[in-house]
Amino acid sequence: MTDTLLSVRDLKKHYPIRKGLFNRKVGAARAVDGISFDIEEGETLGLVGESGCGKSTAASSVIHLEEPTAGEVIFNGNGRQGATRDPDGTHPNDVTEFDDDEMMEFRRGAQMIFQDPSSSFDPRVSVGNAVGELLKVHGMSDRHRRRAIVEDLLERVGLSANDFDRYPHEFSGGQKQRIALARALVLNPDLIIADEPVSALDVSIQAEILSLINDLQEEFGLSLLFISHDMSVIRQVCDRVAVMYLGEIVEIGPVEEIFTDPQHPYTEALLSSIPTPDPRASVGGIELKGTVPSPTNPPSGCRFHTRCHKVIQPEGLDIDQDDWRGLLNFRDKVGIDEVDVEQVRENIAGSGTEPTDSEVRAEIRREFDISETVDDPELERTLSEALDLLIEGDSERAGSVLSDAITTPCAEREPEQTVHAPGHESACLRHEGQAAAEPNPADD
Amino acid sequence: MATEESERFDKVDWNDLSRSGRFDLSINSIGMLLTALPLTLLGVYSTAFTGPRTATFEFIGLEQNLESLDFFFIFTLLLAFWYLALPLYQNPRMTRYYWKEFKRNRPAVVSLGWLGIVFVGGLVGPLIMDPPQQQLLIGYQPPVFTSVVDTTPATCVGDVVNGRCFGTWQHPLGTTQGGKDVFTMIVYGMTISMQIAFITTTIVATIGISFGTLSAYAGGWIDEIMMRFVDIILSFPTFLMFLLILYIYGAGLGMFIVVFSLFAWGGTARYIRSKSLSISEEEFIKASRISGASTYQVIRGHVVPNAASSIITQLTLLIPGFLLAEAQLAFLGIGDSAVPSWGQLISAGRSDLSFAPWIVLAPGIVLFFTILAFNFLGDALLDALNPEAEAESE
Amino acid sequence: MADDQPLLEVENLTTKFSTDNGTLTAVDGVDFSVNTGETVCIVGESGSGKTVATESITKIINTPPGEIEGTVRYKGRDLLSLPESELRQIRGNEIAHIFQNPQEAMNHCYTVGWQITEALQIHQDVSDDEARAKAVDLMDRVGIANASSRFDDYPHEFSGGQKQRVMIAMALVGDPDLLIADEPTTALDVTVQAQILRLLDDLQEEFEMGVLFVTHDLGVVAEIADRIVVMYAGKVMERGDVLDIFDHPGHPYTQQLLECLPEFGGTGGGIPGTLPDPHDPPDGCRFAPRCEYAEEACRTGEQPEEIEVAPGQEVSCVHYGPGGNPSIVRSEGLGPGDDTGTVDGDSEVGPADD
Repeated sequence: MTDTLLSVRDLKKHYPIRKGLFNRKVGAARAVDGISFDIEEGETLGLVGESGCGKSTAASSVIHLEEPTAGEVIFNGNGRQGATRDPDGTHPNDVTEFDDDEMMEFRRGAQMIFQDPSSSFDPRVSVGNAVGELLKVHGMSDRHRRRAIVEDLLERVGLSANDFDRYPHEFSGGQKQRIALARALVLNPDLIIADEPVSALDVSIQAEILSLINDLQEEFGLSLLFISHDMSVIRQVCDRVAVMYLGEIVEIGPVEEIFTDPQHPYTEALLSSIPTPDPRASVGGIELKGTVPSPTNPPSGCRFHTRCHKVIQPEGLDIDQDDWRGLLNFRDKVGIDEVDVEQVRENIAGSGTEPTDSEVRAEIRREFDISETVDDPELERTLSEALDLLIEGDSERAGSVLSDAITTPCAEREPEQTVHAPGHESACLRHEGQAAAEPNPADD
Repeated sequence: MATEESERFDKVDWNDLSRSGRFDLSINSIGMLLTALPLTLLGVYSTAFTGPRTATFEFIGLEQNLESLDFFFIFTLLLAFWYLALPLYQNPRMTRYYWKEFKRNRPAVVSLGWLGIVFVGGLVGPLIMDPPQQQLLIGYQPPVFTSVVDTTPATCVGDVVNGRCFGTWQHPLGTTQGGKDVFTMIVYGMTISMQIAFITTTIVATIGISFGTLSAYAGGWIDEIMMRFVDIILSFPTFLMFLLILYIYGAGLGMFIVVFSLFAWGGTARYIRSKSLSISEEEFIKASRISGASTYQVIRGHVVPNAASSIITQLTLLIPGFLLAEAQLAFLGIGDSAVPSWGQLISAGRSDLSFAPWIVLAPGIVLFFTILAFNFLGDALLDALNPEAEAESE
Repeated sequence: MADDQPLLEVENLTTKFSTDNGTLTAVDGVDFSVNTGETVCIVGESGSGKTVATESITKIINTPPGEIEGTVRYKGRDLLSLPESELRQIRGNEIAHIFQNPQEAMNHCYTVGWQITEALQIHQDVSDDEARAKAVDLMDRVGIANASSRFDDYPHEFSGGQKQRVMIAMALVGDPDLLIADEPTTALDVTVQAQILRLLDDLQEEFEMGVLFVTHDLGVVAEIADRIVVMYAGKVMERGDVLDIFDHPGHPYTQQLLECLPEFGGTGGGIPGTLPDPHDPPDGCRFAPRCEYAEEACRTGEQPEEIEVAPGQEVSCVHYGPGGNPSIVRSEGLGPGDDTGTVDGDSEVGPADD
């Protein structure tokens, strides 16, 4: 059994939103809102999610590029293994509590690779000096020794020692990412955080860089936190995956299990959006509509319920799932007065005669993927009533009619973690009651 | 103890290394300190211990006198040498790249040549040439290859043919009313122009860069106050201020430089601030912070060099403004008439324009080309000093 | 107009740029065609000349420094010989472009609606009200919710995916017959990419367009392409039906591109080496310096002629030509699309080297 190198516990990063003359705090963007995970020694954990889900913020909070709002980041590298919690509940290896000297030491234990090769190097510093800067900062004043080390390292990442004096603009994107790897490695860290290291590269070069990362990881026993929005890249390099949505981890587990047996609907949707390089496979699967909601005001309950294709129907209701999703979308749109009956009318009018009210009703239903009659008579009545109200122009009452009748448990309760298999957890209400997650094991 | 093994990154024992290396001075800073120190001592000695009429180097038997402006000029030259010229030599690869980019712009290369002549002339000229002497007898000599009616000059130094006085190589650009050699005066004017260029640039750059980066990094209220202060600086009527000071203290060249550059750094500071803010968003700054570098090290090592190289253009374009301002003030007669600047020469010749146009034309043309050269240079530097833009377009 | 005539026919297209270091040949004698209702993908690494090739079609690259030769026949008219004024009528109207980076392709000083109506009014004589109605309709059509109220929003108020939708709406104003999409999804998230690809698919059917799609991502190619043109260093390496190329990639370059995908047994490694210097391309086959099957014959003369290896599939490789031995590079059982083969991570491509 290997040791845990990094434990993140309930990490939060909120950005205050200030307004007005006195910079009053009026709210907070909850970019990262309580995530927990562990990384074992030599392991690669993938962190996957759409843009805006907070994965990059999570990375910069873990590496202490930004001060986290709350939570613990326990780093057991640099020979600090085996420390136990102090009696007052704090942990001696908690990065958020490190003093300056300990922080310098932490910098030697954890490094990072960035996404954009074109901006990750100072254009006015030769790449050798850019890599050597880290050695210098950490007290190696011998220039010749620095040069020897960096030249050796450049060769290890597939460049030549002569490249030491060259400048970033003389390298291609793939080569720059190799140099970025060298820079991350030069202090001999235990952990490397890679923030979308290949998403700016061509596919052919992606494969090269990923295999280099794999080789180096094996050779030096590195642990990796690998951040990406691309599930297929995650599959190539990671041992375990954490799927993030709107600041929370919705599912975490071994990579093969996540790919073959995803438990959270969001994971399913992410997986089905990977373009399969099989021309016979049809464009299809689950379409994730819309974008990630704002982290300033995240949806109540399960944060994914506004886009979820498996959103739960209340007890006693059993209608077509697409209809249900459509009804919820319709309710939400009417609620914020975004169903424009005039626009619908115009759309139909474009194809011929003045539309009748029933045509408008049918069009709205089609727009929201709701079938002509909803299976449940009561719901159907509510829907018809709301549609009538809408056409009459009373969207406010239509909204209240709908929101009274259409509710989902997903919006009311926050899901707990459910354990599906050892190390495979997800947070979805559909799994509630199957097996309650154990409380976090004593993390030390 | 560096053995073979320790030249590998994973064999470094960090606990062995002391932290002292973090505060290493670069060779440039050492050089600057070693050269600026004697200069400062000399400056202090010159102003405090020798009388205003005594030459600075009297104690070793030389007659050269240095005034505070000269000390400051030499100081800026040292700065330029240690922090501009030497780094170019130290990074030959980057220098070659800059040169390759710069070379594309032909007019700029010619401009650089011209400014080189002005620079060397201004530096060496006064050392090897005697100051222009008043010789009323040979006033209004025409430039070489030209001639004037022989009644214009009191006595003609060259040949007089058919009632016309021809210019000679003795006074290649002719002489003024008082018989001062125009060429010599132009060379002496080069010194003045170079002093204006170097000293104003140094003052503007120093204040602008420190104010700009400080404001960007302090943020919040401090940033707000500092930027409002810049607004005041920018909207200040510098010319009126100068007139006021002129009435109270008299108009020296030093006063001109100080007043005008103290009110000219506003734009630079603002530019540096926004540039610093955008640079600090770059990933290489994050990488540097993660390496453990302190905020000072990040600013000194990455933010300032990147921001500064982008204001070189702006500074180069500021210089012509100062040179023109000086010339205009001199022409209006508000300058220090003891200073042999081009503007003073033009001003001195304006009443003789109808019959001795060379007195105005010669310095006027030199001034014109110098200003043009600075403008060309600024444009070319903008293109050459931006490796990122180049890399992206490829 | 004959029915069997392709919508767009590009013949021997060559685009050069004069630079300080000599002439750079970005596209070197490329042929391809697009039919109505068909999606043709140009695939290649960055720097292969695929973007320049598509931008040469409607001459949106600057000339000079660029120089375009060859023929581009669109509905039988040679675009390259048309005067600029007539070309402008076609550009953005009959032939529309969408680009990789919607951020850069939009003007941030104007509202999104204004930009769409402007594009509309350049080509059509419509009143402001009509233009607005049509623009809202288009925004609605490309899936921007609540289009009429978002009409007056500025680009920065849209997310990346929505901006790309707006770009598509702008491309559709002239009811184009040919849509040229240059890596339209590369800058987007995978989930958004799926949405955009689906949208393009729907729109192609609705507007009956031919689509010329440029990408380096074979996963995307597999989803939308009917035919593929594989480009490398300014030359066409292989062309053919998407199924044929995924089942039996002929050219070693195509094979290696496919092998970069994990689904094709991509055990990593990518394609060793880099693209040749476009100022001074190598003799013979452009890919020879990086090709594991390269022989002496590959390194001399010109790029080999394209040989038809299967109906509709042509490969430019010495080994398929006269005197060559296709079995050296022939791959069997590669990829998931093969009916007989299995999805096998370890399947090798031909004998390694013997």
